[in-house]
Amino acid sequence: MGEFDKIRKMGVRQFLLQVLNFVGVLASGLMIWKGLGLVCNTESPIVVVLSGSMEPAFFRGDLLFLTNPRETPYMLGDIVVYKIPADRSGAEQIPIVHRILEIHTKPKTQAQMILTKGDNNPTDDIGLYRGLPWLERSHIVGKVRGFLPYVGYATIAMNDFPQLKYALLGGLALMALVQRE
Amino acid sequence: MARKKTGNDARDPSPLPADDAHLSPSSSSAALSQQTKPAPIPLILAPEGNAGRDAVKVNNASANEMKIACDDAVKRFLAQPGAFNTIHMHTDVRLLLGWGAVIVAALTGLYGWKMEFEKAKPVVTAGVVLYMILSSAQTLYAYFIEQNIVFEGKRKTLQRRKYAQIETERITLSSKTLPSTPSTPPKYEVSVSYVHSTNGGKLLLGRARERAEMPYTAFFDAAGTMDQDRFDAWLHELVGRAMGSGAGDAKTQ
Repeated sequence: MGEFDKIRKMGVRQFLLQVLNFVGVLASGLMIWKGLGLVCNTESPIVVVLSGSMEPAFFRGDLLFLTNPRETPYMLGDIVVYKIPADRSGAEQIPIVHRILEIHTKPKTQAQMILTKGDNNPTDDIGLYRGLPWLERSHIVGKVRGFLPYVGYATIAMNDFPQLKYALLGGLALMALVQRE
Repeated sequence: MARKKTGNDARDPSPLPADDAHLSPSSSSAALSQQTKPAPIPLILAPEGNAGRDAVKVNNASANEMKIACDDAVKRFLAQPGAFNTIHMHTDVRLLLGWGAVIVAALTGLYGWKMEFEKAKPVVTAGVVLYMILSSAQTLYAYFIEQNIVFEGKRKTLQRRKYAQIETERITLSSKTLPSTPSTPPKYEVSVSYVHSTNGGKLLLGRARERAEMPYTAFFDAAGTMDQDRFDAWLHELVGRAMGSGAGDAKTQ
Protein backbone atom coordinates (compact mmCIF):
# COMPACT_ATOMS: atom_id res chain seq x y z
CA MET A 1 0.00 0.00 0.00
CA GLY A 2 1.24 3.47 -0.80
CA GLU A 3 0.80 4.60 2.78
CA PHE A 4 3.23 2.04 4.19
CA ASP A 5 5.82 2.94 1.58
CA LYS A 6 5.56 6.56 2.60
CA ILE A 7 6.15 5.57 6.21
CA ARG A 8 9.18 3.50 5.35
CA LYS A 9 10.84 6.32 3.43
CA MET A 10 10.47 8.84 6.22
CA GLY A 11 13.49 8.45 8.43
CA VAL A 12 13.56 8.21 12.22
CA ARG A 13 12.93 11.85 13.14
CA GLN A 14 10.07 12.31 10.70
CA PHE A 15 8.49 9.08 11.87
CA LEU A 16 8.74 10.17 15.50
CA LEU A 17 7.13 13.49 14.54
CA GLN A 18 4.26 11.73 12.81
CA VAL A 19 3.67 9.37 15.74
CA LEU A 20 3.80 12.41 18.01
CA ASN A 21 0.97 13.93 15.93
CA PHE A 22 -1.28 11.02 16.79
CA VAL A 23 -0.20 10.43 20.37
CA GLY A 24 -0.31 14.18 21.02
CA VAL A 25 -3.98 14.33 20.08
CA LEU A 26 -4.76 11.50 22.51
CA ALA A 27 -2.68 13.13 25.24
CA SER A 28 -4.36 16.51 24.84
CA GLY A 29 -7.79 14.83 24.94
CA LEU A 30 -6.85 13.04 28.13
CA MET A 31 -5.48 16.20 29.74
CA ILE A 32 -8.57 18.20 28.78
CA TRP A 33 -10.69 15.51 30.41
CA LYS A 34 -8.61 15.48 33.57
CA GLY A 35 -8.47 19.27 33.67
CA LEU A 36 -12.23 19.50 33.31
CA GLY A 37 -12.58 16.98 36.13
CA LEU A 38 -10.38 19.11 38.37
CA VAL A 39 -12.28 22.30 37.53
CA CYS A 40 -15.66 20.66 38.18
CA ASN A 41 -14.30 18.80 41.20
CA THR A 42 -15.59 15.45 39.96
CA GLU A 43 -13.87 12.41 38.50
CA SER A 44 -16.36 12.16 35.65
CA PRO A 45 -17.50 15.58 34.46
CA ILE A 46 -19.41 14.16 31.47
CA VAL A 47 -21.53 10.97 31.65
CA VAL A 48 -23.93 9.14 29.35
CA VAL A 49 -27.40 8.05 30.45
CA LEU A 50 -27.68 4.27 30.02
CA SER A 51 -31.16 3.47 31.28
CA GLY A 52 -34.62 4.96 31.01
CA SER A 53 -35.15 5.42 34.73
CA MET A 54 -35.21 9.23 34.50
CA GLU A 55 -37.66 9.59 31.62
CA PRO A 56 -39.14 11.95 30.53
CA ALA A 57 -36.34 14.21 31.81
CA PHE A 58 -33.41 12.17 30.45
CA PHE A 59 -33.47 9.42 27.88
CA ARG A 60 -30.94 6.73 27.10
CA GLY A 61 -28.11 8.26 25.05
CA ASP A 62 -28.23 11.74 26.60
CA LEU A 63 -24.99 13.40 27.62
CA LEU A 64 -24.93 14.95 31.10
CA PHE A 65 -22.58 17.64 32.45
CA LEU A 66 -21.76 17.38 36.15
CA THR A 67 -20.20 19.55 38.81
CA ASN A 68 -19.53 18.83 42.43
CA PRO A 69 -19.38 22.16 44.27
CA ARG A 70 -17.32 21.69 47.40
CA GLU A 71 -19.01 23.89 49.97
CA THR A 72 -22.57 23.98 48.64
CA PRO A 73 -24.86 21.36 50.19
CA TYR A 74 -27.15 19.37 47.92
CA MET A 75 -30.86 20.21 47.85
CA LEU A 76 -34.06 18.29 47.38
CA GLY A 77 -34.85 17.81 43.76
CA ASP A 78 -31.24 17.96 42.58
CA ILE A 79 -30.47 15.34 39.99
CA VAL A 80 -27.25 13.61 41.03
CA VAL A 81 -25.00 10.87 39.72
CA TYR A 82 -23.79 8.48 42.39
CA LYS A 83 -21.70 5.35 42.60
CA ILE A 84 -22.01 2.65 45.26
CA PRO A 85 -18.49 1.62 46.27
CA ALA A 86 -17.16 -1.70 44.98
CA ASP A 87 -18.27 -4.75 46.97
CA ARG A 88 -16.03 -7.48 48.39
CA SER A 89 -15.58 -9.10 45.00
CA GLY A 90 -14.07 -5.82 43.75
CA ALA A 91 -16.57 -5.31 40.94
CA GLU A 92 -16.95 -1.59 40.23
CA GLN A 93 -20.52 -0.35 40.24
CA ILE A 94 -21.82 1.68 37.34
CA PRO A 95 -22.83 5.28 38.10
CA ILE A 96 -26.57 5.90 38.43
CA VAL A 97 -28.33 9.18 37.75
CA HIS A 98 -31.43 9.79 39.89
CA ARG A 99 -33.16 12.60 41.75
CA ILE A 100 -32.75 13.38 45.48
CA LEU A 101 -35.89 12.46 47.39
CA GLU A 102 -34.86 12.99 51.01
CA ILE A 103 -31.98 14.70 52.79
CA HIS A 104 -31.16 14.46 56.48
CA THR A 105 -28.38 16.62 57.89
CA LYS A 106 -26.38 15.40 60.87
CA PRO A 107 -26.50 18.20 63.49
CA LYS A 108 -22.85 18.40 64.52
CA THR A 109 -20.95 17.70 61.32
CA GLN A 110 -23.54 19.04 58.84
CA ALA A 111 -22.95 15.85 56.84
CA GLN A 112 -25.77 15.04 54.47
CA MET A 113 -27.51 11.64 54.26
CA ILE A 114 -29.34 11.28 50.99
CA LEU A 115 -32.08 9.09 49.53
CA THR A 116 -32.68 9.05 45.77
CA LYS A 117 -35.29 7.77 43.34
CA GLY A 118 -35.49 7.63 39.56
CA ASP A 119 -38.39 9.65 38.14
CA ASN A 120 -39.52 6.72 36.05
CA ASN A 121 -39.05 4.10 38.80
CA PRO A 122 -41.90 2.90 41.02
CA THR A 123 -39.82 2.82 44.22
CA ASP A 124 -36.88 4.61 45.75
CA ASP A 125 -33.31 3.38 45.43
CA ILE A 126 -32.87 1.53 48.74
CA GLY A 127 -32.63 -1.74 46.82
CA LEU A 128 -29.74 -0.35 44.79
CA TYR A 129 -27.71 0.73 47.81
CA ARG A 130 -26.72 -2.87 48.62
CA GLY A 131 -26.94 -2.61 52.36
CA LEU A 132 -26.30 1.08 52.87
CA PRO A 133 -29.23 2.91 54.54
CA TRP A 134 -28.31 6.27 53.05
CA LEU A 135 -26.04 7.77 50.42
CA GLU A 136 -23.28 9.96 51.74
CA ARG A 137 -21.75 12.89 49.96
CA SER A 138 -18.65 10.87 49.18
CA HIS A 139 -20.71 8.50 47.07
CA ILE A 140 -21.98 11.29 44.85
CA VAL A 141 -20.00 11.94 41.69
CA GLY A 142 -21.74 15.21 40.91
CA LYS A 143 -24.89 17.17 40.28
CA VAL A 144 -26.35 17.50 36.79
CA ARG A 145 -25.95 21.04 35.43
CA GLY A 146 -26.81 20.58 31.77
CA PHE A 147 -27.40 18.00 29.10
CA LEU A 148 -27.19 17.29 25.38
CA PRO A 149 -29.69 14.85 23.87
CA TYR A 150 -28.67 11.91 21.63
CA VAL A 151 -24.93 12.70 21.56
CA GLY A 152 -24.15 9.89 24.02
CA TYR A 153 -25.21 7.23 21.53
CA ALA A 154 -21.71 7.36 20.02
CA THR A 155 -20.26 6.23 23.36
CA ILE A 156 -22.95 3.56 23.78
CA ALA A 157 -22.21 2.24 20.28
CA MET A 158 -18.49 2.07 20.99
CA ASN A 159 -19.08 0.24 24.25
CA ASP A 160 -21.47 -2.26 22.73
CA PHE A 161 -19.32 -2.83 19.64
CA PRO A 162 -15.65 -2.60 20.70
CA GLN A 163 -14.57 -3.35 17.11
CA LEU A 164 -15.91 0.09 16.23
CA LYS A 165 -13.64 1.65 18.81
CA TYR A 166 -10.55 -0.16 17.52
CA ALA A 167 -11.44 0.56 13.89
CA LEU A 168 -11.81 4.26 14.64
CA LEU A 169 -8.56 4.39 16.59
CA GLY A 170 -6.72 2.43 13.91
CA GLY A 171 -8.02 4.68 11.16
CA LEU A 172 -7.02 7.81 13.07
CA ALA A 173 -3.56 6.40 13.73
CA LEU A 174 -2.96 5.59 10.07
CA MET A 175 -4.16 9.02 8.99
CA ALA A 176 -1.99 10.82 11.54
CA LEU A 177 1.06 8.78 10.57
CA VAL A 178 0.82 9.67 6.91
CA GLN A 179 -0.56 13.21 7.03
CA ARG A 180 2.08 15.93 6.89
CA GLU A 181 1.22 18.95 9.05
CA MET B 1 59.15 42.78 36.21
CA ALA B 2 62.01 42.56 33.76
CA ARG B 3 60.48 42.03 30.34
CA LYS B 4 61.92 39.40 28.09
CA LYS B 5 62.82 40.41 24.55
CA THR B 6 60.68 37.69 23.03
CA GLY B 7 57.68 39.02 24.93
CA ASN B 8 58.10 42.40 23.31
CA ASP B 9 58.46 40.92 19.85
CA ALA B 10 55.27 38.98 20.24
CA ARG B 11 53.39 42.19 20.86
CA ASP B 12 54.83 43.89 17.80
CA PRO B 13 52.05 43.79 15.19
CA SER B 14 53.87 43.70 11.85
CA PRO B 15 55.79 40.49 11.25
CA LEU B 16 53.91 37.98 13.32
CA PRO B 17 54.46 34.28 13.78
CA ALA B 18 52.12 32.04 11.85
CA ASP B 19 49.57 31.32 14.57
CA ASP B 20 48.74 35.00 15.09
CA ALA B 21 48.25 35.63 11.38
CA HIS B 22 44.54 36.28 11.66
CA LEU B 23 45.30 39.54 13.45
CA SER B 24 47.54 40.80 10.72
CA PRO B 25 45.91 43.38 8.46
CA SER B 26 47.79 43.12 5.22
CA SER B 27 50.62 40.68 5.20
CA SER B 28 48.61 37.58 4.41
CA SER B 29 45.52 39.16 2.84
CA ALA B 30 46.90 38.71 -0.65
CA ALA B 31 47.27 35.01 -0.02
CA LEU B 32 43.85 34.85 1.57
CA SER B 33 41.96 36.51 -1.24
CA GLN B 34 43.07 33.76 -3.60
CA GLN B 35 41.54 31.09 -1.44
CA THR B 36 38.52 32.41 0.49
CA LYS B 37 35.95 31.14 -1.99
CA PRO B 38 34.52 27.95 -0.50
CA ALA B 39 34.23 24.81 -2.54
CA PRO B 40 31.09 24.95 -4.68
CA ILE B 41 28.35 22.51 -3.75
CA PRO B 42 28.32 19.74 -6.30
CA LEU B 43 25.02 19.34 -8.08
CA ILE B 44 24.79 15.61 -7.67
CA LEU B 45 21.97 14.25 -9.73
CA ALA B 46 21.13 10.63 -10.08
CA PRO B 47 22.66 9.52 -13.38
CA GLU B 48 19.28 9.22 -15.08
CA GLY B 49 18.08 12.54 -13.63
CA ASN B 50 14.41 12.61 -12.75
CA ALA B 51 13.89 9.07 -13.94
CA GLY B 52 16.42 7.68 -11.48
CA ARG B 53 14.77 9.04 -8.35
CA ASP B 54 11.46 8.18 -6.79
CA ALA B 55 8.79 10.23 -8.49
CA VAL B 56 7.13 12.84 -6.30
CA LYS B 57 3.46 13.16 -7.08
CA VAL B 58 1.19 15.48 -5.14
CA ASN B 59 -2.23 17.00 -5.44
CA ASN B 60 -1.48 20.14 -7.42
CA ALA B 61 -4.67 21.80 -6.23
CA SER B 62 -3.29 21.98 -2.70
CA ALA B 63 -0.66 24.66 -2.21
CA ASN B 64 0.20 23.10 1.13
CA GLU B 65 1.03 19.72 -0.40
CA MET B 66 3.17 21.39 -3.05
CA LYS B 67 5.00 23.41 -0.42
CA ILE B 68 5.69 20.26 1.60
CA ALA B 69 7.01 18.51 -1.52
CA CYS B 70 9.30 21.48 -2.26
CA ASP B 71 10.49 21.57 1.36
CA ASP B 72 11.35 17.88 1.18
CA ALA B 73 13.24 18.49 -2.06
CA VAL B 74 15.20 21.30 -0.35
CA LYS B 75 16.16 18.98 2.50
CA ARG B 76 17.19 16.24 0.09
CA PHE B 77 19.26 18.64 -1.99
CA LEU B 78 21.09 20.47 0.78
CA ALA B 79 21.76 17.37 2.87
CA GLN B 80 23.57 15.57 0.06
CA PRO B 81 26.94 13.98 0.91
CA GLY B 82 28.95 16.74 -0.73
CA ALA B 83 26.88 19.59 0.67
CA PHE B 84 25.84 20.52 4.22
CA ASN B 85 25.32 18.52 7.40
CA THR B 86 21.83 19.01 8.71
CA ILE B 87 21.44 20.66 12.11
CA HIS B 88 18.48 18.94 13.70
CA MET B 89 18.07 21.24 16.67
CA HIS B 90 14.58 22.56 15.91
CA THR B 91 13.22 19.09 15.22
CA ASP B 92 14.89 17.71 18.32
CA VAL B 93 13.53 20.43 20.60
CA ARG B 94 10.07 19.89 19.17
CA LEU B 95 10.31 16.13 19.65
CA LEU B 96 11.64 16.52 23.18
CA LEU B 97 8.95 18.95 24.32
CA GLY B 98 6.20 17.05 22.50
CA TRP B 99 7.11 13.61 23.75
CA GLY B 100 7.80 15.00 27.21
CA ALA B 101 4.28 16.40 27.29
CA VAL B 102 2.84 13.08 26.10
CA ILE B 103 4.74 11.11 28.72
CA VAL B 104 3.61 13.50 31.46
CA ALA B 105 0.02 13.11 30.23
CA ALA B 106 0.31 9.31 30.20
CA LEU B 107 1.77 9.15 33.72
CA THR B 108 -0.85 11.56 35.06
CA GLY B 109 -3.62 9.53 33.45
CA LEU B 110 -2.24 6.32 34.88
CA TYR B 111 -1.95 7.80 38.34
CA GLY B 112 -5.49 9.20 38.23
CA TRP B 113 -6.80 5.84 37.11
CA LYS B 114 -5.10 3.88 39.88
CA MET B 115 -5.75 6.26 42.78
CA GLU B 116 -9.06 7.41 44.10
CA PHE B 117 -10.13 10.85 42.87
CA GLU B 118 -9.75 12.91 46.04
CA LYS B 119 -6.38 11.42 46.94
CA ALA B 120 -5.11 11.78 43.40
CA LYS B 121 -6.10 15.44 43.02
CA PRO B 122 -2.80 17.16 43.93
CA VAL B 123 -0.70 14.96 41.66
CA VAL B 124 -3.16 15.17 38.78
CA THR B 125 -3.25 18.96 39.11
CA ALA B 126 0.53 19.08 38.98
CA GLY B 127 0.51 16.79 35.95
CA VAL B 128 -2.06 18.84 34.04
CA VAL B 129 -0.19 22.08 34.77
CA LEU B 130 3.12 20.55 33.68
CA TYR B 131 1.50 19.26 30.50
CA MET B 132 0.14 22.73 29.72
CA ILE B 133 3.58 24.27 30.28
CA LEU B 134 5.32 21.78 27.99
CA SER B 135 2.64 22.07 25.30
CA SER B 136 2.73 25.85 25.33
CA ALA B 137 6.53 25.80 25.27
CA GLN B 138 6.42 23.61 22.18
CA THR B 139 3.93 25.88 20.43
CA LEU B 140 5.78 29.07 21.36
CA TYR B 141 9.08 27.58 20.20
CA ALA B 142 7.60 26.63 16.85
CA TYR B 143 5.97 30.04 16.44
CA PHE B 144 8.74 32.35 17.57
CA ILE B 145 12.00 30.52 17.08
CA GLU B 146 11.47 27.94 14.38
CA GLN B 147 9.05 30.03 12.29
CA ASN B 148 9.41 29.21 8.60
CA ILE B 149 12.77 27.47 8.74
CA VAL B 150 12.93 24.38 6.58
CA PHE B 151 16.61 23.53 6.64
CA GLU B 152 19.55 24.46 8.80
CA GLY B 153 22.94 23.05 8.06
CA LYS B 154 26.60 23.64 8.47
CA ARG B 155 29.77 22.54 6.83
CA LYS B 156 33.31 22.57 8.11
CA THR B 157 36.16 22.56 5.68
CA LEU B 158 39.86 22.56 6.29
CA GLN B 159 41.44 25.39 4.35
CA ARG B 160 45.13 25.11 3.86
CA ARG B 161 46.93 28.41 3.50
CA LYS B 162 50.01 29.42 5.40
CA TYR B 163 48.27 27.84 8.32
CA ALA B 164 45.53 25.27 8.46
CA GLN B 165 42.24 26.63 9.64
CA ILE B 166 38.79 25.21 9.86
CA GLU B 167 36.18 27.34 8.19
CA THR B 168 32.54 26.94 9.03
CA GLU B 169 29.68 27.74 6.73
CA ARG B 170 26.19 27.87 8.10
CA ILE B 171 23.12 28.00 5.93
CA THR B 172 19.51 28.55 6.92
CA LEU B 173 16.68 28.20 4.50
CA SER B 174 13.11 29.32 5.19
CA SER B 175 10.20 28.95 2.87
CA LYS B 176 6.62 30.01 2.58
CA THR B 177 3.82 30.02 0.09
CA LEU B 178 2.73 33.26 -1.47
CA PRO B 179 -0.97 32.83 -2.10
CA SER B 180 -2.39 33.10 -5.57
CA THR B 181 -4.08 36.21 -6.89
CA PRO B 182 -6.69 36.29 -9.66
CA SER B 183 -3.87 36.73 -12.18
CA THR B 184 -0.96 34.73 -10.73
CA PRO B 185 -0.57 31.18 -9.46
CA PRO B 186 0.64 30.47 -5.92
CA LYS B 187 4.37 30.89 -5.51
CA TYR B 188 7.08 29.24 -3.47
CA GLU B 189 9.27 31.81 -1.77
CA VAL B 190 12.61 30.86 -0.34
CA SER B 191 14.95 32.91 1.85
CA VAL B 192 18.51 31.77 2.27
CA SER B 193 20.82 33.08 4.97
CA TYR B 194 24.47 32.18 4.67
CA VAL B 195 27.26 32.81 7.17
CA HIS B 196 30.91 32.03 6.58
CA SER B 197 33.15 32.16 9.61
CA THR B 198 36.25 30.73 11.12
CA ASN B 199 37.95 30.29 14.46
CA GLY B 200 35.03 28.40 15.87
CA GLY B 201 32.50 30.90 14.57
CA LYS B 202 34.18 33.81 16.31
CA LEU B 203 35.62 35.46 13.24
CA LEU B 204 33.12 36.40 10.58
CA LEU B 205 34.36 36.07 7.04
CA GLY B 206 31.21 36.95 5.24
CA ARG B 207 27.47 36.64 5.22
CA ALA B 208 24.69 36.97 2.72
CA ARG B 209 20.94 36.77 2.42
CA GLU B 210 19.11 35.87 -0.73
CA ARG B 211 15.47 35.54 -1.51
CA ALA B 212 13.75 34.16 -4.56
CA GLU B 213 10.32 33.07 -5.57
CA MET B 214 8.99 30.85 -8.29
CA PRO B 215 5.42 29.90 -9.10
CA TYR B 216 4.55 26.30 -8.31
CA THR B 217 3.57 25.84 -11.93
CA ALA B 218 7.27 25.86 -12.80
CA PHE B 219 7.88 22.70 -10.81
CA PHE B 220 4.62 20.75 -10.94
CA ASP B 221 2.95 19.64 -14.13
CA ALA B 222 -0.73 19.15 -14.74
CA ALA B 223 -0.69 15.68 -13.18
CA GLY B 224 1.10 16.91 -10.06
CA THR B 225 4.45 15.27 -10.79
CA MET B 226 7.40 17.30 -9.56
CA ASP B 227 10.25 18.23 -11.88
CA GLN B 228 13.01 17.64 -9.34
CA ASP B 229 15.86 18.46 -11.72
CA ARG B 230 14.47 21.89 -12.41
CA PHE B 231 13.90 22.53 -8.72
CA ASP B 232 17.40 21.43 -7.83
CA ALA B 233 18.87 23.63 -10.56
CA TRP B 234 16.94 26.66 -9.31
CA LEU B 235 17.97 25.97 -5.74
CA HIS B 236 21.57 25.39 -6.73
CA GLU B 237 21.68 28.76 -8.47
CA LEU B 238 20.10 30.54 -5.51
CA VAL B 239 22.36 28.97 -2.92
CA GLY B 240 25.36 29.49 -5.16
CA ARG B 241 24.58 33.19 -5.30
CA ALA B 242 24.32 33.37 -1.52
CA MET B 243 27.56 31.49 -1.06
CA GLY B 244 29.34 33.54 -3.70
CA SER B 245 28.45 36.92 -2.27
CA GLY B 246 28.96 35.76 1.30
CA ALA B 247 32.17 33.90 0.61
CA GLY B 248 34.29 36.25 2.59
CA ASP B 249 36.77 38.68 1.23
CA ALA B 250 40.04 39.78 2.72
CA LYS B 251 38.49 43.25 2.72
CA THR B 252 35.64 42.27 4.98
CA GLN B 253 37.96 41.28 7.79
